[in-house]
Amino acid sequence: MTKEIATFIVNGGEYEVIVEPHMLLIDVLRDKLGLTGTKYACGAGDCGACTVLIDGKPSFSCLTLAVTAVGKSITTIEGLADGAELHPIQQAFVDKGAIQCGFCTPGMILSTKALLDENPAPTRDEIKSALAGNLCRCTGYVKIIDAVEVAAETMRNGGQGS
Amino acid sequence: MHRVLLPFEFAEPATVGEVVELVDGQKARVLAGGVDLVLKMRLREILPEKVVSLQKVPGLDYVQEDDAGLRFGALASLRQIELSQAVRTGWPLLAEALGSIVSVQTKVMGTTVGNLCVGTPASDVAPALYALGARVKITGVDAVREIPIEEFFVDVGKTAVGPHEIVTEIFIPRPVAGSSGAYVKLSKTKEDIAKVNAAVLLTIADGACTDAKIALGSVAPTPIRAMEAEQLLRVRGMSAGAIAEAAEAAAEAATPISDVRSTAAYRREMVRVLVRDALDKAVSRARAGGGRS
Repeated sequence: MTKEIATFIVNGGEYEVIVEPHMLLIDVLRDKLGLTGTKYACGAGDCGACTVLIDGKPSFSCLTLAVTAVGKSITTIEGLADGAELHPIQQAFVDKGAIQCGFCTPGMILSTKALLDENPAPTRDEIKSALAGNLCRCTGYVKIIDAVEVAAETMRNGGQGS
Repeated sequence: MHRVLLPFEFAEPATVGEVVELVDGQKARVLAGGVDLVLKMRLREILPEKVVSLQKVPGLDYVQEDDAGLRFGALASLRQIELSQAVRTGWPLLAEALGSIVSVQTKVMGTTVGNLCVGTPASDVAPALYALGARVKITGVDAVREIPIEEFFVDVGKTAVGPHEIVTEIFIPRPVAGSSGAYVKLSKTKEDIAKVNAAVLLTIADGACTDAKIALGSVAPTPIRAMEAEQLLRVRGMSAGAIAEAAEAAAEAATPISDVRSTAAYRREMVRVLVRDALDKAVSRARAGGGRS
């Protein structure tokens, strides 16, 4: 295969894209679909800024060949809010001051979503393990971990964020 | 680091047979999780004309145990094996080694077989597999062969896998009763690869050490066993004095280099410390009756 029209399933919608084998998933998301919430930083799988969920699992979109993600369910940060209403994880990050420059935030939030989908009541250690592949150079992580705890509680109570 | 990859052809066959026909280890490379291959393609250290994906071959992502031991396939992810109940119960040394890789994304995407096929002496999995006596199943065009893990690693970045071959399975025998293991790793940060790592597996019967395996990573062109140190424990037992001597012997077995992560002298000294710590841990786990292996 050299070039083909492929259907990507992103945030529940289907998108036809002309894809070549050497294209990376992050470039399809950002440049073909305009979903620039997914960030490019290290390009090497160290920082986690490019994290998206592929079939629910946190993955580096900068190390994923786009062709291997065709037909799989991809969730980016744009898929979380419901219209103008933030997802409880996003709201908790805002409320707890877990965002400073914001560059790591989309990846942090998607890793958090993967965690809370599997484990609705994580301990602080489990939160740290789940976010170990996401680097933040601003916050010192404490407020991020606080925010995940708040988000978990909100979601357990069936809330939509405060 | 380049932002884009250079063009290549892509194939995703549905059978192992087609994959091994296509790959040649040079111009045609096999893709499993992609964590290492795609990174090296970005760095332009590897510039394949063709990438052959294993991902569409069904039935390679298993992790299963039977009476003989544990088997996992080429597409079993690092995380899948780390979280497997069979592994946590029967091969906790392997789970401990996998747990030292901290990035969830790396473990979700990366496969354990892929980790080995990179051929890096810094592999976190390899020392545990050396200590556990793992065997590697390599499938070629006409034949399947199985070799001990110690014959699999040949040199830095070089394994026993031939041009038209891929690794399809790892087999780890069930540790004998009374086995107790430990894995320890020293790295710059939790996320970085090891400066030095070590896995030990002791077999203890009636309070005596009947067998000992000590494997080291990042201190030679391949992972290595510290055979003299192992022999010393079998003869002298598990006293603090014997452990100190074994740790010293393990440090002697290492042939480390100096690089950006450490000097050779520091690595050698840390082998001594890590082996001592790992043996202490394994002994105390054995005494606690945990029987970790």
